[in-house]
Amino acid sequence: MTLLDEIEAAIPALRRYAHGLIGDRDAADDLVQDCLERAVAKRHHWRRDGPARAWMFRILLNCHRDNLRRRPRHLTAVEDLAVEPALPGDQEAHLALTEVQAAIAALPHDQREALLLVALDGMSFDEAAATLGIPKGTLMSRLGRAREKLRVQTGRERPARPTPKRQTP
Amino acid sequence: MTQIPEDRLLAYFEGALGAEDARALAERLPDEPQARALLEVWARQNAAITALYAPVAEEPVPERLLAVTRRRPPTIATPAPLLRIAAMLGLLALGGAGGWLAADLRPDAPRALAEAAIAAHETYVVEVIHPVEVEATQAAHLTGWISNRLGHSIAPPDFAALGFRLMGGRVLPGDTGAAALFMYEDDLGRRVTLYVAPETGGAQTAFQFAEQGDMQSFYWMDGTLNYAVVGDIPRDALRRIALAAYDQLI
Repeated sequence: MTLLDEIEAAIPALRRYAHGLIGDRDAADDLVQDCLERAVAKRHHWRRDGPARAWMFRILLNCHRDNLRRRPRHLTAVEDLAVEPALPGDQEAHLALTEVQAAIAALPHDQREALLLVALDGMSFDEAAATLGIPKGTLMSRLGRAREKLRVQTGRERPARPTPKRQTP
Repeated sequence: MTQIPEDRLLAYFEGALGAEDARALAERLPDEPQARALLEVWARQNAAITALYAPVAEEPVPERLLAVTRRRPPTIATPAPLLRIAAMLGLLALGGAGGWLAADLRPDAPRALAEAAIAAHETYVVEVIHPVEVEATQAAHLTGWISNRLGHSIAPPDFAALGFRLMGGRVLPGDTGAAALFMYEDDLGRRVTLYVAPETGGAQTAFQFAEQGDMQSFYWMDGTLNYAVVGDIPRDALRRIALAAYDQLI
């Protein structure tokens, strides 16, 4: 399998991840296209120090961050997006997708990047930490914070507090 | 409060615990209603994330994306051996007559890059009062300013994991237009610089190494920008910094 084949094989996963990062499908495919252009142009620089797929994800993230730097207004708008907590009691089996979507869009970029690598792409902690270039502990705390924010914003009460239920025989 | 620490529960959920630890944790779950509830919440989160974004991966890849990997643009990764030999044999002496070969046959371009980077390093690294023009504390300004002057989006890479923190940067005149110099320092006061200059000829090279007196440099060209990391530190440490720079600048 040549590197170009490997790059091509990674496209579906890259599209999925980009879709999660950005939300808008066309903009996500634009990002994937930027990433592919960059990867193809720099393919002679690939150091074969790991799977090409991980290299592609790193390039995608770098393209994404370049875009964010160029459009700082967008960055602020996303961070400030207020999400109303959902009304309790209307969902048990699954979460309302629009709420989850809004909650993901409202996450800080680093938390969203981490969460989607693990929850959407299925990367292990080690793979995700290497892709993001951060220590495993940092990845875990980003992931924990992302999941906690998601939980709060999708209206789930924390399953904490000792419940009196057990006392009923 | 759950008695299983949340980070441990998360590691269990993500399959990051060893088999033994995972089994031990699973055995406690029947007595840990809060932990079980949290696991359910996370599973629902995953289900929602998958429902939202995964279907894209099942769809056919758009033609415009496939076109990128299939069109195979002509590139000059490293000058082809024949061209390099031709250059060594002195064909380069044809000079201006062979203008169309310019991008391929500039054997001196990488060396000029290393020399410019080392000269810049030696000029500014000894500065006590004004080693940099814009300090790292003004990170956004530094990035914006240098990107504008070079005409390329460039953010200084982070070498904190290698013990070097960004001091700041400055803009310099270079052979191919404005160049940028980022300076880093470690706790021992040792300084390394990253020199970035636009590449007008589209040349690409792999990592190369140069030495000039005590100064060492790793440098490479990626077709749009040229980079050189310079410092008077052990070669292996400098190489790690160059690799970190490379990884962050792709």
